[in-house]
Amino acid sequence: MNMLLSVPFLVFLPLVISILIMSPLFTSNEVIVRRFSKSVFGFHFLYTVIMLIFFSSANPYTADINMFGLDWIQSLGVKFSLKIDTISMILITLTSFIFFMSSVSSKFNIRKNHKFYYSMLMLLESAILGIFTASDMFLFFLFWELEMVPAYFLIGGNFVENYKYQEDAKKSAIKFILFTFFGSMFMLLGILLLHYYNFVSNGILSASFADITDITIPITIQMLIAVCMLIGFGVKLPIIPLHTWLPDAHTNAPTPVSMVLAGILLKTGAYGIYRFNYEMLPQTFKIIAPVLALLALINIIYTAFVCYAQTDIKRIVAYSSISNMGLVLLGLCAINQIGLTASVFHMVSHGLVTCGLFMIAGIVYLRFKNRNIDTVRGVAAVMPRLFGFAVLIVLASIGLPLFAPFISEVLTVIGAMNSDISVFIRFAALFSLPLLILSSCYMLKFLHNCFYGEVTEEYVKVNDLAVHEFFVLASILGALIIFGLYPNSIIGMFG
Amino acid sequence: MINDIFNILLPQFVLGGFIILLLVLSMVLSPRLYKYARIITVVGISSAVACLSTVQTDPQYFGFRNSIMSDSYTLLFDFMILCCGFLVALLSKNLVQKHKRSAFTYFAILLTAIFGAMNIVSANDFLTLLVSVELLGFSTYFLLSVSKGYHSKEAAFKYLITSAVSTGIFLFGVSYLYGVTGSLNFTTIYEYITKNETSLIYTISAIMIILGLASKLAVFPFANWVIDVYKGTETSTLAYLSTIPKLAMFGIICRLMVFPLSNSFEIVFVIAVLSLITALWANTYAIREKNVKVILACSSSANASYALLTASLVSVYNLSTVIFYLICYVIMNIGVFAYLNMYGDEKSFDVNAFKGIYHKNHGHTALYTILIIGLAGIPITSGFIAKIYLFTAIANSGLVFVPFLLGLLLLMVLALFYYLKILMPLFSEYDKNTTVEKFNTNFSQKFVVAVSAIITVLLGICPEMLIELCRFIAYNI
Repeated sequence: MNMLLSVPFLVFLPLVISILIMSPLFTSNEVIVRRFSKSVFGFHFLYTVIMLIFFSSANPYTADINMFGLDWIQSLGVKFSLKIDTISMILITLTSFIFFMSSVSSKFNIRKNHKFYYSMLMLLESAILGIFTASDMFLFFLFWELEMVPAYFLIGGNFVENYKYQEDAKKSAIKFILFTFFGSMFMLLGILLLHYYNFVSNGILSASFADITDITIPITIQMLIAVCMLIGFGVKLPIIPLHTWLPDAHTNAPTPVSMVLAGILLKTGAYGIYRFNYEMLPQTFKIIAPVLALLALINIIYTAFVCYAQTDIKRIVAYSSISNMGLVLLGLCAINQIGLTASVFHMVSHGLVTCGLFMIAGIVYLRFKNRNIDTVRGVAAVMPRLFGFAVLIVLASIGLPLFAPFISEVLTVIGAMNSDISVFIRFAALFSLPLLILSSCYMLKFLHNCFYGEVTEEYVKVNDLAVHEFFVLASILGALIIFGLYPNSIIGMFG
Repeated sequence: MINDIFNILLPQFVLGGFIILLLVLSMVLSPRLYKYARIITVVGISSAVACLSTVQTDPQYFGFRNSIMSDSYTLLFDFMILCCGFLVALLSKNLVQKHKRSAFTYFAILLTAIFGAMNIVSANDFLTLLVSVELLGFSTYFLLSVSKGYHSKEAAFKYLITSAVSTGIFLFGVSYLYGVTGSLNFTTIYEYITKNETSLIYTISAIMIILGLASKLAVFPFANWVIDVYKGTETSTLAYLSTIPKLAMFGIICRLMVFPLSNSFEIVFVIAVLSLITALWANTYAIREKNVKVILACSSSANASYALLTASLVSVYNLSTVIFYLICYVIMNIGVFAYLNMYGDEKSFDVNAFKGIYHKNHGHTALYTILIIGLAGIPITSGFIAKIYLFTAIANSGLVFVPFLLGLLLLMVLALFYYLKILMPLFSEYDKNTTVEKFNTNFSQKFVVAVSAIITVLLGICPEMLIELCRFIAYNI
């Protein structure tokens, strides 16, 4: 069985299919393109699940690719090598799942340029999987940059018919790509310095994660590198002063794209901080952690307040995801096993929750052509099934027991409380607890405003959930409940 | 003497023969036979490429009383210059169709420019260098002024004046250097410098020499010409202007930095600062600009400044990165101008005039997108690898240059913005009342765009072979 499981296949399958769909030879029949892509995403998800089943942290999957019999760039010691360890495996499964959900939910949302849309979605999946599997700094950077291109086209592209926010979407796409590029340039500086000083002090010309050790590098330079890296990842995560692209991009993008952005793209930032700062530069991370914890606290509390003031459903969800990513960051700052586990767990549960919430927002927009919580009224009366799902997913996002976010939030706070780095992190953990109250404020406000009340005359006859929408929401809810009831499925992977 | 010709100058002599042939034909033949001019040029360049195999490279060969030299470094640059000349000659079809009378002269001048560029790279003497630079400069002037109209004449005149001023500065520097060292020969000057301590006057002269040469690359004090010149020039000539003079000038500047003007920190610092200022100027200027040609002008200036900054931090490793960067950049640039040539020289080059062009010209526009993305330095193109490779060189040069590196990296964010400005309208919906036409293309344009895009992607995926070649050449200089 292990012979059949290959990392390059996992990462590059979407890329190949993307080129296939884009090629002029491929049919331009919308239905065929859509069904074909959906089945590819479904197959990819199955393949990932099989990999997950056979995965053991003792021997992670690795693969070195030699192109034309050559290492990638020998003179810089750059290799095209991929590796899947526990955290990558969890995030890869999440990626594959959310892309599958997103492609299924694209049916009603995407009405134009099908070939381009699905090919970009595949490309994005490939790039994100690349980020999670790369085990070489420059390769990581390559995928990091590559991911911007499809994301840009997906956010700003013209895929929705008579979309009210099309012009805004274009602007948000530019904002997104400029912010990300700004961050990634700092990251590149960090990578270049790390590469060079690792070579100077250890004598190994290599960019591989495994060959980097921070022990011999002077601490000031390490600090410089760490700060550069944090700016790079902080744009993606996002950490507060660098977050302004996020609400715009997430709000104006088509719904399935928002699901991917919030579900996966933000996690690449957290993953980067884990890989580079947490793993490769532990000395400086210990120094920076209290500051980061403060930033995380600001993320959590400040955005929760901002969120309460929003009226657009998608904006509420976008801000709530910034707030939740603060919790992920706090878990990382704890620098202990519980914190790390909790932060990865929270990435998963938050990915699922935002994915579901964006789906709900998208369904409401499709039916009511409106996303303002002040004017949308009485959805529950006309769409009882959606109401059922919405109540459950909103409760999950607030962090009620039985659902995955409850476990991960509690674990994060426990992890941060147990942190022995600085008293400050414990304080941050303590002060982050009001999130639970604040999140229930804005989420319940959304639920009350939209779903209760009298529906206006013209919307009395809107249809309830279609089959594929039911499928997406049910799968997400199912996953949330499974991880909520049996958290050991993720925690156990960390041993 | 005869030996020297057969050992190093045979390609140049072949080119010279074809130049004379074309000039004679321009007097004899009727303009109706203009089509043959391009064929003769292409044959001439191909035979010059074939003659490159006779050039002696190992060991270095000095000829004509040490005034001209050849080694693998000059061979590579000659090859690149000839290849670019080949592609430019292919692209010139539309231009000479409009100016049938001057077809033969046009190609004769193009060959002269290539001749001059090749001589610049292999010069080993400031006098030879001066003559070759002037040859290149004047040919460029004539090439720019081929087409009719006010803008073209304005562009050509601006170019002429700038290059005259920069030649003056260059000569001034050379005269100081002659005063200090008593020689014009690179080898002698190098020997003198290694024996004696550098003086202030030497530093000043070296900076002036480099600046005089770098004005052709549009580096800061002489950068402004680039905008008007690009605005008023036909695209096929731009394909020439953004490649061949750049290759030649980088060829000689890198050699000068490594050999005769070897480093004092002041020279390095001044040139690095000037490059940074150029990058800042070019990138900020392009943000507000709406004309695609001008944006590309700024991008060419900015890209040249990145490479110049790296070249100024003298080391063999840096040299290899600069060569790699130049090759990738030149290939992308020719492809971009080939696409604009397809688009047509008469149409407006406003960014918004390109609206919705993708919907009628899928293949070409997709290739163009790859090339522009390559210029912006996004994977999976050679531009990404080239930029990373170039920046490793700066990062390895010491902590002093980290602020420079950071500056360049941040400027690249601005650069991305204007590249997006070029790309965005291509894919947007076009207005219903305007029509988007399918391009009227010919084979050579398609060939150039396709070749450059394919090479760009291939180098982006598998750069190792070219990098090895560049390292080999840099270590053998």
